[in-house]
Amino acid sequence: MLKVGDIANRAGQLTEVPVQNLVPLPPPYDRLEDLPARKQLKPEVLDRIDTSLDGFSALGLSRPQTPEDEQKFVKAFLSGLEKLLNTENNWTFLEQLQLSLDHCARCQTCVEACPIYTASGRDEVYRPTFRSEVFRRLVNEYAKPGGKALAWLKGEHVELNAATLGRLLESAYRCSLCRRCAQACPMGVDNALLAREVRKLFSMEMGIAPREIHDKGSMLQLRTGSSTGMNAHAVRDNIAFLDDEIRDQTGRTIETPWDKEGADVLLIHNAGEVLAWPENPMAFAIILEAAGISWTMSSELAGYDSVNYGLWYDDAQFARVAVRQAEAARKLKVKKIVLGECGHGHKASMVTADRLLSGGSNVPRESALVLLRDIVMSGRLKLDPSRNDFPVTLHDPCNMVRMMGIVEPQREILRAICPQFREMTPHGVDNYCCGGGSGLAIMSGQNFADWRFSVAGRTKLKQILDAFADCPGPEVKKYVCAPCSNCKGQFRDLFQYYGVWEKSGILYGGLAELIVNAMADIPRPFIQWEFH
Amino acid sequence: MLLIILISIAVVIFFAGNTIHIVKFLRMPTPLRWELYPIPKGPRDRQLYGGSYFEQSDWWTKPPDTGRSGELAFMAKEVFLLRSVWENFRGLWLWSWLLHWGLYLYSLMTLIAVGEVLVPSGPRILHSAVMYGYPLACLLGLLGSIGLLLARSAHPRLRGFSTRSSFFNALLLGAVFATGLLSFYGGTSLDSLIRDLLRSPASLGHYARVPQTHLALVAFFLNYFPFTHMTHAYMKYFTWHGVRWNDSPALHDPLAARTLALNLQREVTWSAPHIVAGGKATWSEVAADADGRGAGRA
Repeated sequence: MLKVGDIANRAGQLTEVPVQNLVPLPPPYDRLEDLPARKQLKPEVLDRIDTSLDGFSALGLSRPQTPEDEQKFVKAFLSGLEKLLNTENNWTFLEQLQLSLDHCARCQTCVEACPIYTASGRDEVYRPTFRSEVFRRLVNEYAKPGGKALAWLKGEHVELNAATLGRLLESAYRCSLCRRCAQACPMGVDNALLAREVRKLFSMEMGIAPREIHDKGSMLQLRTGSSTGMNAHAVRDNIAFLDDEIRDQTGRTIETPWDKEGADVLLIHNAGEVLAWPENPMAFAIILEAAGISWTMSSELAGYDSVNYGLWYDDAQFARVAVRQAEAARKLKVKKIVLGECGHGHKASMVTADRLLSGGSNVPRESALVLLRDIVMSGRLKLDPSRNDFPVTLHDPCNMVRMMGIVEPQREILRAICPQFREMTPHGVDNYCCGGGSGLAIMSGQNFADWRFSVAGRTKLKQILDAFADCPGPEVKKYVCAPCSNCKGQFRDLFQYYGVWEKSGILYGGLAELIVNAMADIPRPFIQWEFH
Repeated sequence: MLLIILISIAVVIFFAGNTIHIVKFLRMPTPLRWELYPIPKGPRDRQLYGGSYFEQSDWWTKPPDTGRSGELAFMAKEVFLLRSVWENFRGLWLWSWLLHWGLYLYSLMTLIAVGEVLVPSGPRILHSAVMYGYPLACLLGLLGSIGLLLARSAHPRLRGFSTRSSFFNALLLGAVFATGLLSFYGGTSLDSLIRDLLRSPASLGHYARVPQTHLALVAFFLNYFPFTHMTHAYMKYFTWHGVRWNDSPALHDPLAARTLALNLQREVTWSAPHIVAGGKATWSEVAADADGRGAGRA
């Protein structure tokens, strides 16, 4: 049995995650031999990077080559640890961090709530309390007076070396920050918060973060305006192209308004939608125009991309993006910001940034799901539910639901326009994460994608298949409504990995698309039933 | 005499330690929000499915969710029935419930016993309640402690993650309850022990070894408690009410702007190059850094 102190083992890998241990899926996904082979890393790569947690690497972290390098690495960590526990550097989350460090009773009540732990066949490395306990012991032993003696007395010594730190950091990226475990904890301890703070320490003190989230994510957004790399000119071009597409597809002439001062609504999409799922911003434009909403998009830096990856790993990056998004809204003097179908964008902007923005910058922010609900229920659109007469289930993005309590608006819409709507089990605030939360969905690392599909997304896939158990074959086309870009990215990759479209005929997409698909005055179906 | 000194020190440390622990958290700066639903506030139907004020259009124009009755009802289930443990770890629930109720009853009996000394003319029924309440508390607590020890040793979910201190805590509580129960069977009621402790401490020397050991163990527990995770007994106010259920928007908080201004003037010394590129920077400057190349550049 794995012990907490094993994290410091200088040699070997803590776990293998054998496929036969994974939670079983219903047929035809029950044949383990049908699973795609895991990517084998070349020996020279394995020599260079740290895969000693579970054989996967999210960060491509290099091993220190000399004892001096290792010492430097450990020293930097200790310096970061001190700052993490310090009011000046961590006023942002110190209270929550300290509460979770100090009050865990080690009762393990939370562990079964974790979809990653259970999907792995209860591999101890993924037990939500494992990384928390490692981190807690490191704090107690190395950052508190008398910590070493107490650690010895309590039998809680953990050696602090490069292996410990490499594994701890990798392990912080084996948690999707879905916070189901926090929901289950009787003390109010939050393992996800601890994972986030570990990520933050490494990023803010040592500059170590997954490339997809930092260099190609928040840094790119600050420099170009969007984590997609689209600058304002590019995004306007792309949207203009989508306006043309709307005309071709629906016969309606729509010109997306840009930088319209004094508009009621500033709509901020996850800019990834424009490139990966253009039908979503198209659907929004159709709905808002049809409903007669006064709306605009912004071409200010970050004003056209709701993503804020700092939420997952770095408070400085978080603050920088949040301030810019708010500034875009303030300049346009809009009545409110409406956040498109992006879960973490919702939480970052509406919840976490709330105590970061002052006065005029704190422009009211609302969820697009609420606006869409109001439009659908107002009768302003002529909707024909029979156009959506196919099985539909709803994925609850953790950030919108468990962390914001936006549960019913999307359901009200689906109940009104989708005759075959059915819930997953569990759902609402008890939902399972898609397996791509907190940035995992955009990370591929060296071989990280294999882990993301075979372990992290497995519980969700099982839940989706179970929701459609009455019509499992590909002959019945089915729709998973996922009103979140990050979740859609995970579903796209997850479904491809398991061949879900071919084997089960399950498509994923947003909520706005279903509404447009039901609009009686649009001649052709809006949903194309093409997997992409 | 030694026992009296031990108990006196223990009471002082217990109150001082817990006060310091609470003050430490009260003095922490207002953090960013980190709520988690369901939150037992707002209309009842919304509470049932875990919804929030964010479900309303133009939510900032609506009155804030107020009232504590939902929170109190939720917490009552958590404290008295251990709802989370029941729902998520049934194998632990009975032992944990017995232990917690042992502690609750023991604390309540002690309060009543102290009250009887301070107000001797109190209702007679309380005296009888204490006489039988103490042994019942000790019985429940002892069973809970033994169960927890066995669970921590044998249950696959707990075995690898139980530390020496986990076992020590259960053993310590088990010893407190066992000596309490043995005192009762030896003819010493714990309420008389409390009475003598407060009225004529010198008479404690006349008690048998078991009740004296019981008092010594209680004293040790009082010393130990503030420095353990057992402070969750009251820190739940912070973890639940203060963090998990704190979804109050800044616009409904008159102190928010002042707190924010203070926080933004705090100095940042994180070392990664993208945070502070040179010299010093405040949080306000870090947030304003336009391209993420590091605040504080010359």
